[in-house]
Amino acid sequence: MTRTVPHRGSGGRVVAALFRFQSLFGLVAVFVVAVVFSPRHDGALLFLDGDNLFNVVRAVSEIGIMAVGMTFVILVGGIDLSVGAVLGLAAVGSAVLMVDSDFGVFAAVAVVLLIGLGFGFLQGLASAVFGIQAFIVTLAGMQIARGLARIWSGGQGVAIAYGDGPGEAPLAFSLLGERTFNGLVPIPALIFAVVAVVAIVFLRTSAFSRHMYAIGGNEQAARLSGVPVTRVKVAVFCICGFLAALAGIVHAGQLNQGSPNDGFGYELDAIAAVVIGGTSLMGGRGSVTGTVAGALLLGVLNNFLGLHGVDPNIQLLVKGLVIVVAAGLQRLRPAG
Amino acid sequence: MDDGVSALVEMTGISKSYGGVHACRDIDLTVRAGEVHALLGENGAGKSTLMKVLSGDVTDHTGEIRVAGVPRRFGAPVDAQRAGIAMIHQELDLVPELSVAENIFLGREPRTRLRTVDRRAMITMTRGLLDRCGVRLDPRRPVGALRTGEQQLVTIAKALSLDAQVLIMDEPTSALSPVEVEQMFTVITELRRAGAGIVYISHRMDEIGRIADRATVLRNGAVVEEFDARELTAERAAEAMVGRPVQAMFRTRAVEPGEEILRVRDLALTPRRARSGRREPDGISLTVRRGEIVGVGGLLGSGRTELLETLFGAGPPGTVRGEILLRGRPVRPRGPRQALALGLAFVPEDRRIAGLAIDHSVLANTVLSIVERIATAGIVPRARETSAARRIVADLKVKVGSIGDAVGTLSGGNQQKVVFGRMLLTEPLLLLLDEPTRGVDVGAKAEIYALLGRAAEQGIGVLLASSEPAELVGVCDRVVVLSGGRSVRELDTSHAGEAELLAASMGEGSTAIAVDTGGAG
Repeated sequence: MTRTVPHRGSGGRVVAALFRFQSLFGLVAVFVVAVVFSPRHDGALLFLDGDNLFNVVRAVSEIGIMAVGMTFVILVGGIDLSVGAVLGLAAVGSAVLMVDSDFGVFAAVAVVLLIGLGFGFLQGLASAVFGIQAFIVTLAGMQIARGLARIWSGGQGVAIAYGDGPGEAPLAFSLLGERTFNGLVPIPALIFAVVAVVAIVFLRTSAFSRHMYAIGGNEQAARLSGVPVTRVKVAVFCICGFLAALAGIVHAGQLNQGSPNDGFGYELDAIAAVVIGGTSLMGGRGSVTGTVAGALLLGVLNNFLGLHGVDPNIQLLVKGLVIVVAAGLQRLRPAG
Repeated sequence: MDDGVSALVEMTGISKSYGGVHACRDIDLTVRAGEVHALLGENGAGKSTLMKVLSGDVTDHTGEIRVAGVPRRFGAPVDAQRAGIAMIHQELDLVPELSVAENIFLGREPRTRLRTVDRRAMITMTRGLLDRCGVRLDPRRPVGALRTGEQQLVTIAKALSLDAQVLIMDEPTSALSPVEVEQMFTVITELRRAGAGIVYISHRMDEIGRIADRATVLRNGAVVEEFDARELTAERAAEAMVGRPVQAMFRTRAVEPGEEILRVRDLALTPRRARSGRREPDGISLTVRRGEIVGVGGLLGSGRTELLETLFGAGPPGTVRGEILLRGRPVRPRGPRQALALGLAFVPEDRRIAGLAIDHSVLANTVLSIVERIATAGIVPRARETSAARRIVADLKVKVGSIGDAVGTLSGGNQQKVVFGRMLLTEPLLLLLDEPTRGVDVGAKAEIYALLGRAAEQGIGVLLASSEPAELVGVCDRVVVLSGGRSVRELDTSHAGEAELLAASMGEGSTAIAVDTGGAG
């Protein structure tokens, strides 16, 4: 049993499986296209070059971590538009705390994660307890987080220099820009993988996730069945804020700076990854597996178009089309 | 017609069946100008179907409809509207954000020369219409800000603006306060004087006696009797409506009731914000003992659902007064979660709206209320989850291919069993059921009754709210009758029958209400 929706009949089962793994098939297709039509250099495929794949995975990690949190929020029928701005706030926070306030790595990371969690908590309260629509709450949250990031950084990007002296960040933080396992896996990708696996296991096994799906499926029925609807919704926003902050820390570590404009528009990429992954924006069905595939698909697509030197504006068009096609395919999906 | 009064509508030999079930059998009904014609019958007697035929909602019927002597065949409600027949629905089809005038002229707004909406003309015309009904209302007020009764008057005005000659009113007073009822009667009297014909569906004998001229009683899809409404008493009508011994599909058990599980004393709820269309408890007392099935009866709008919701902590926020004792301990559930923890369980009336996540699996829907209980450190063991679901599916004989199937693929009765099963898994002391057999077929009905009987035998107390007298009398040991949010009477079903229950519901608490003759006759 999985938590996505099963269907009856053998023919129906095949179709259902196709749709359920829609994003995985999409990912494979985009990957194959990227390989086949990859530009070559001395006969070698540039796309499959180690450094290039490294770039793909690194770029995907930040969006991916955010998209996992976004999946949680969307599963209960909500939305969080603030994640990009929270990422910026967290990146600024990491840089300022270590560089200007002489925080150690763990202290800085802990404080920034708590800020993300607290931000999510407040948004959750506003939406679940006071009944303001999540779209509006997090639209406001987006502005607030962005404003806070600008105030905290003085409107400037804060560069992170490493060393032991004052005004320098501990060297340990630069780990985020490195690779592990013989230089094969970038640290951010490792973090993303851990987050994704934990989320997948959590969604499949926990009582809490049963409650999440129930709320997304029919909130009133869930409430009458004893599901603590308010508590679950607040918790889910906390998780999303926490993961956005984590993505912000990773972002700061990769770029060695925290700029208040970081993460601009990332919320849309995160939502796109969730939608391409087959999670219903109405809530109640979807999976993190799909979201991971969706994030990878977007990353591969971006990279492939970039390698061919496609005009960035055209890239936007292509991305938009992919999202529409993915959402359209969801509508064709057999009803439960 | 015989007495020379012109017939606005003549329906002859109307029949309509759903599947193999006859909803209407060879019904004749005449509506004359300047007449209020009451239509009586139990739920499922065929009133709604007959009115759907007349209003063009049901079109595949047999028989003939003549409007002002001309045979008509309606293909859609709009045809009936053009012929001057308007239905005033129980659920009002108004747009709350728009004003009274905008609602009345929705889609056919008067235009100025510049093709913009001519507000002034619209408001003047609306005033005229409201005057014709004898109603004082500002045409510019948004409909959402009006009380239910006023909204109903707006729908009537709208019907008049469409030149309706025949108005069908389905329980128009069920959600109204006494003052609003009076206002509604004034309007009806005005309409009658103006020569309109009105079909009036209601269970309230006092009302029918006051405003109706004639009454037709339906039973099992056929006309059983026609009365002069002025001679009608609650008892005679109830007898005609029931007219048969109670069906034998119900239980035949006799469990000795045990200790008292629930005692409710003078329960009342004052909501923080009044919601129209609801009748919150306003003085309800009752008891339920172990192994007992207690019915909650009363007319539409008497507060049955609201009682169960209040007991379960699912009513609107507000002040609850009175006492709820659960096994002698005073409780006041603040929400469903707390109520479930106390041992209460609730099966809501509309399973699609309030019961099920319709495209989730049977498994997910069945175990929802116990996933926390069976979890260890927050992790739900898959084996326990599936075995609990399998057990309840087998126990309740839910017809399903696999527990992984979406619950929406099941039949209504089986869906109902899933909600029922979810609640049984919580091992409740007391089961609150709201219309548990609505929209399920006869076979599933019998099965659900059997399940109720079994639950009671296991010592669960059951409180069953229903709009079907036959169900209440057949299934319950006792029935508490509600009226206007109060418990007005308690019947022992080993002595009292359907007719007595109906009479008690209709007669505001007294069995033999002498119907006011209204001065005419």
